[in-house]
Amino acid sequence: MKVTIVVAGLAILTTAALGQNAPSADTGKVVFDKWCTPCHGAVAPAGGLGDGALPGTSALRVKYNGELPAVLEERTDLAPEFIETVVRGGLFGMPITRKTEVSDSELEDIIAYLTRSNN
Amino acid sequence: MALPPNVSEEEFASALSEFAQAVGDEWVFSSDEDVALYRDSYSIYWGEPEERVASAAVAPANVEEVQQIVRVANRYNIPIYPISTGRNLTYGGAAPTLSGSVVVDLKRMNRVLEVDEDRHFALVEPGVSYYDLYNYIQERGLQVMLDVPDPGWGSPIGNSLDHGAGYTMAPFRDHFGSRCGIEFVTAEGEIVRTGTGAMPGTDTWQDYRYGVGPMIDGLLAQSNFGIVTKMGFWLAPMPETFLTGTVTVPRYRDFDALVKEVSYLEDSFLTGMPSFGSPAAGGGFGQASPQMAELMQDGWPSVERLEEFVSAQGRPAWSVELRFYGPEEVVRASWDAAKRRFRDRVAGAAFEDGDFWRLPLSAEELATNPRKPLLGVPALEIFATMARNPRTNDAPLEGHADLFAILPRKAEAVHEAARAMSDAYGELGVPPAHHPFSTPLNFYSRAFIVPAIVPTWRDPARNAQSRALYSRLVDRCAEHDWIVYRTNPAFQDQVVSKLSYNDNALLRFEEKLKDGIDPNGIISPGRYGIWPASMRSGRA
Repeated sequence: MKVTIVVAGLAILTTAALGQNAPSADTGKVVFDKWCTPCHGAVAPAGGLGDGALPGTSALRVKYNGELPAVLEERTDLAPEFIETVVRGGLFGMPITRKTEVSDSELEDIIAYLTRSNN
Repeated sequence: MALPPNVSEEEFASALSEFAQAVGDEWVFSSDEDVALYRDSYSIYWGEPEERVASAAVAPANVEEVQQIVRVANRYNIPIYPISTGRNLTYGGAAPTLSGSVVVDLKRMNRVLEVDEDRHFALVEPGVSYYDLYNYIQERGLQVMLDVPDPGWGSPIGNSLDHGAGYTMAPFRDHFGSRCGIEFVTAEGEIVRTGTGAMPGTDTWQDYRYGVGPMIDGLLAQSNFGIVTKMGFWLAPMPETFLTGTVTVPRYRDFDALVKEVSYLEDSFLTGMPSFGSPAAGGGFGQASPQMAELMQDGWPSVERLEEFVSAQGRPAWSVELRFYGPEEVVRASWDAAKRRFRDRVAGAAFEDGDFWRLPLSAEELATNPRKPLLGVPALEIFATMARNPRTNDAPLEGHADLFAILPRKAEAVHEAARAMSDAYGELGVPPAHHPFSTPLNFYSRAFIVPAIVPTWRDPARNAQSRALYSRLVDRCAEHDWIVYRTNPAFQDQVVSKLSYNDNALLRFEEKLKDGIDPNGIISPGRYGIWPASMRSGRA
């Protein structure tokens, strides 16, 4: 426990010295909820358009057919580079997301959130 | 790096430096990586030389910075292209009409300036999304209802300026029609307010939109005469309840009577947006089912054949869902009155009660409610219609370019449009999406829309086919005297050319205005066919 606290303290000192905030999974969840959940969330409308799931979740359910979770927040294998590529470049019906919408810092937070349980 | 037309690298670098002085270095985007974020995700020219791409983007935080940007653009003759939230998917996204333009990204101007729950209006900046405005209202418990388009991430200002529409009652679902008061920055950098906003200190800017003298609001929509920086909207007071009921009529020929009666109810303000369907055909518009393809295999069927088809299905030919908003005793009385009128006018009309909800629904109830846009609640669930599904698993749709043709509210016009569009698809070897039971959309209460959803891809070969189809549909609609209500920059010149009354007098008038208001032609050159004098000669 003590080691963890010391390491965390060093991390805070380091990022403070650099004038940056460390990517935060907690902040990432807030940003994710705002920008991603309407398509990639787990709670879907009953009898809606997406066959029992929101659009992104519905698409991933078809794509992975049970081999991987359709809900992004349940994934443990998402690579940071992949998340960044999809957010900035779009994929299929998902459009490009600009930096005035989700800043680079907020994208880092999203990545911290989605990779928090990575193997 | 792309450059604006006729601007040297040195001049552009100098202009970017002046933009940075206006808004801060952080908010000028000029690297290839950053500028690529302003591509149109659904471009019908993706990756081809004709794709509309920006040279840079600049993101002001307030109206004063917008003024400075305009002045710099004028000094250097740099075309600028304002966007609000930059969504506008299928109609160009964040990409400019003219390649090399500098996108003026207004997303940072994201303040909800006022929501009045007693006089039922909102005043917002362009970067405010429907989600933002909805959340602002919820956080304060204000008892007003928005009218939202299907994707809720867009901007009320941007959507209304593109003539977007929603789902509730007629006065609100026409989003430009529900505006009240506009502030904009002219091409010369001056701030103008329309309506009573032209009177300093007015308290009626969002109550009375005419002001005195000419009403110039329309010049700001689907155009390039200024950069809108504030806009007011009329809102509905939160209805006490929401009730739906479905009417079915048995025969193919009954569509005429159904349409006339629905128009009566809408124009009497007795129903919200009606939704037509065809139980016999198994739905409304969309990809024609194998059953429909079989019905049309020997050409467009006769009315007698269609009546036989309906009889064989054992289901009614047509349906319409009516939506009522208001106190419970009023919505139930309206539904009863509607049923009586249909019963009196269409033999065999039948009725089914639908939803009844007391409003507003709680956040928990809304999370699982599939009809959010009908309740003025922003959502993105419409994207499920284009998301990867078992049928498209091998090649999911990458985008689409929508073509919504405006028709008179007549049954025969709907059938004629379905046939004309089906023919156009067939001529190009594309499986038809329309069929004899295609039904219209009613976003605008006084007109019908028959839609065509043309797919777009990140593949030039498939996009070439889509462009050919879209262009053919525009021509075919014009041959029948139907115009498209909104379109992608790739087709704006073509669509506007169809407004040919008196040798395109309307466009020529707009061009004279453009030359006078924006002499250097810096704001959104070419948007909806309005080109500055210096670029007009090369237009098709």
